[in-house]
Amino acid sequence: MRRRSRLAFAACAVTAGLTLAACSSGGSSSSGGSSSGSSASGSTTAAFNSGVNTVVNPSTTKGGTLTYGVAATPDSFDPGNTYYAWVLNLNRLWATPLLTYKSCTGGCGDTLVPGTATSLGQVSSNGLTWTYHIKQGLKFEDGSPITAQDIKYAVERTYDRSVMENGPTYFVNILTDPKYPGPYKDPNGDFTGITTPDQNTIQFHLQAPFPDFNYVVGAFSQTAPVPKAKDTGSNYQLHPQSTGPYMFQSYQPNKQLVLVPNPNWTQNEDTEARQLASKIVVNLNMNAQDLDNRLIAGDVDIDAQGIGVQAAARAKILSSPTLKNDADAVPGNRAWFTYLNTKVAPLNNVNCRQAVEYAANKTDLQTAWGGPYAGGQVATTLLLPGMNGYSSFDLYNAKTAPTGDLTAAKAALAKCGQPNGFTVGASYRSDRPAETAAIQALQAALTRVGIKLQLHGYPSGSYYSTFAGAPNYVHQHNLGILQGGWSPDWPDGYGMMDELVAGNTIVATGNTNIGELNDPTINSLFQQTTKPGLTTAQVGAIYGQIDKAAMAQAVILPNVYATNLLYRSPAATNVYAFAPYGEYNYAVIGASS
Amino acid sequence: MAGGIIIVFLVLVAIVGPYLVQNPDTYNSNLINPTFSRPYGPWGGISLAHPLGVEPVNGRDLLARIVVGTRYSLGIGFLATVLAVVIGVFFGIIAGYFGGWIDAVIARSMDVFLAFPLLVFAIALIGVIPNSAFGLSGNTLRVSLLVFVIGFFAWPYMGRIIRGQVLSLREREFVDAARSIGARGPYILFRELLPNLVAPILVYSTLLIPTNILFEAALDYLGVGLIPPTPSWGQMLSNAVSNGFYYIDPMYMIIPGLAIFITVLAFNLFGDGLRDALDPRGH
Repeated sequence: MRRRSRLAFAACAVTAGLTLAACSSGGSSSSGGSSSGSSASGSTTAAFNSGVNTVVNPSTTKGGTLTYGVAATPDSFDPGNTYYAWVLNLNRLWATPLLTYKSCTGGCGDTLVPGTATSLGQVSSNGLTWTYHIKQGLKFEDGSPITAQDIKYAVERTYDRSVMENGPTYFVNILTDPKYPGPYKDPNGDFTGITTPDQNTIQFHLQAPFPDFNYVVGAFSQTAPVPKAKDTGSNYQLHPQSTGPYMFQSYQPNKQLVLVPNPNWTQNEDTEARQLASKIVVNLNMNAQDLDNRLIAGDVDIDAQGIGVQAAARAKILSSPTLKNDADAVPGNRAWFTYLNTKVAPLNNVNCRQAVEYAANKTDLQTAWGGPYAGGQVATTLLLPGMNGYSSFDLYNAKTAPTGDLTAAKAALAKCGQPNGFTVGASYRSDRPAETAAIQALQAALTRVGIKLQLHGYPSGSYYSTFAGAPNYVHQHNLGILQGGWSPDWPDGYGMMDELVAGNTIVATGNTNIGELNDPTINSLFQQTTKPGLTTAQVGAIYGQIDKAAMAQAVILPNVYATNLLYRSPAATNVYAFAPYGEYNYAVIGASS
Repeated sequence: MAGGIIIVFLVLVAIVGPYLVQNPDTYNSNLINPTFSRPYGPWGGISLAHPLGVEPVNGRDLLARIVVGTRYSLGIGFLATVLAVVIGVFFGIIAGYFGGWIDAVIARSMDVFLAFPLLVFAIALIGVIPNSAFGLSGNTLRVSLLVFVIGFFAWPYMGRIIRGQVLSLREREFVDAARSIGARGPYILFRELLPNLVAPILVYSTLLIPTNILFEAALDYLGVGLIPPTPSWGQMLSNAVSNGFYYIDPMYMIIPGLAIFITVLAFNLFGDGLRDALDPRGH
């Protein structure tokens, strides 16, 4: 507390000419032990949700300490070994992949822009080779130059799942030479999936065309360069060699990470990140309630996990006009769904599935997920709002009859040959309170038309591997209705819908096409998106068609487009919701000073 | 005395109550403020229509859920106690009367049961049982399972007390007399000894009931109890704590907490009174 006040005062002296009045008010209130006064130096008046589409406290002022809190631990701070959204968001401070998301508000944030590359990838005419050129003069934190070989090595090491167990496996699945064991087991082996014709060029060789390959490169940090000489395997996460604006000063796993500016990074090399705060502290493994209290008290600036505050803090924030001004209901790059299985009778009849869609009470479902701010907005589509191809259609009257269209539901039941309803099993993760509330809300709503759900609760750890994601188990236990959610790996129609409704994604365990939809029309539409030469708009139009076709099949009952109620400290600058992660954009936040 | 009156009242509530209250599963979303997930109005939405208020998030009537929950709580607690008493008395009498290696085997197995990490075992056992087994399914299966697990692990308490009583009873003259006129083991066990054990059995089963009710609530609290939306006191408490409702709607935690508290206290008072009346030396 004292430290922040002093820094605020020092910065006031520097920028005295411009923000004298603001600083004097900030100085007087910070003497009372509160950091809120320093927010006055921001030029925008913060209001509730102003961080969703605009930048709150825009500033280019350097200095100050920015403090993050996390009520969890990272899967790994090694850029090659993480799959968590908040870690991918945060590690852009020290790991720059070939491509990265554009730092801007709203749906613009979903755009890929060059990171260490000079431009987006160039694909060969057969769709099998993607070429990236690397910017000249890039350096690691120790001043050594970044080469294409460092990027190739970074990807190679992710092939060894015994060392790098957490990251995504897109490269193994997509590139040639999938049997390559990784550089730890095979130090002299030559991985042929990637070639480096010269110091500044890297080529990826694919087994089959993959139009979204730029996302594979940009959505994760696995292409952030790793110098082979500094690689310590699973210990590399203790001090990854920084290529971004900050580098590790100290890291105590499960406790604290301290970042300081990287002297070998320049703004010219990377336009998407900022080097503002003179120190960034990430406190790990905090108690969730304690973290909320510290956020509100000003000891912590941002909750880095970005999944929203607990119920107690939600009540405190939303019922206080002052606190509410410093909060946003940020759209969370996630939707909560109820999957309707197309193989379990009588839901194998599309009319019975449509009856469920009509009879569901969307208002109760929204309340079960946490209400309009902490839960989400009522959903009627598979694509999230803002995604390429999204259109706001509503096949089952969720907007006109938000508590359920019982007349239409009964008509659909009659068409299905079950006029008095039916009984079917329903699965959910019993250790998730909101999901438990949601399935009960659906159960109560469906009872109104005679559809009875027999609830089966499962542990979330094995939910997809053993239960809802295992078609055999689902059929044996008559689980027609399966509660779940989906968070796309990258924000486009492929990332959102391919795993959910494409027929070729049905597998025996870990199945994500839980409705087991294998519809020829939808499958051929997915094929069409891989045609070379399509414009973004044309691809979007096809994804829009897939969305409508899947909703007409009633294979998913969308509950809500999730929102996270996030609190931003008035002392943090350049704060705004970042679409690809559904969190604030950690690459640009500074500390007001 | 007071304990007895409350127990009679609770039993009445469990038997006829569910027919007098509204449907415990009916949603009243109009009574819930969706922004905060909590009921409108003070005291958890207490009103004439909902004398104990409503649940947060879904607006289900709390009185109805408490009353129907009484049936499950008392029912499971009582049945589990019957099971524990039957097993405990049977093995306690045998061990105490026959002595020797039979006593050694039974007494050691009672020690094993008492030393068992019961809660952990119960969670594991109920967790791995599928949703339909032994010809039962859904909630019926869960209730039977809870009765079995709670009762089966509570019997050594009863068994030890009975064994101790029998150890002293078997040396008494009337047992010698029965033996001398040629009575066999089973006759002596169940015609001579058992009637003399009625007092301790009554007292300790009354004291076992509240323990079992608490244990059932604990299992429900830990998420291995009844299947939602079945009303259960333990799950209401768990819900209030895990979702942080105790902060925004404390009544949702206080009311089921009071229900458990009153029930357990009543049975304990009643059991103590019974002991004073029937078994003055049992202290």
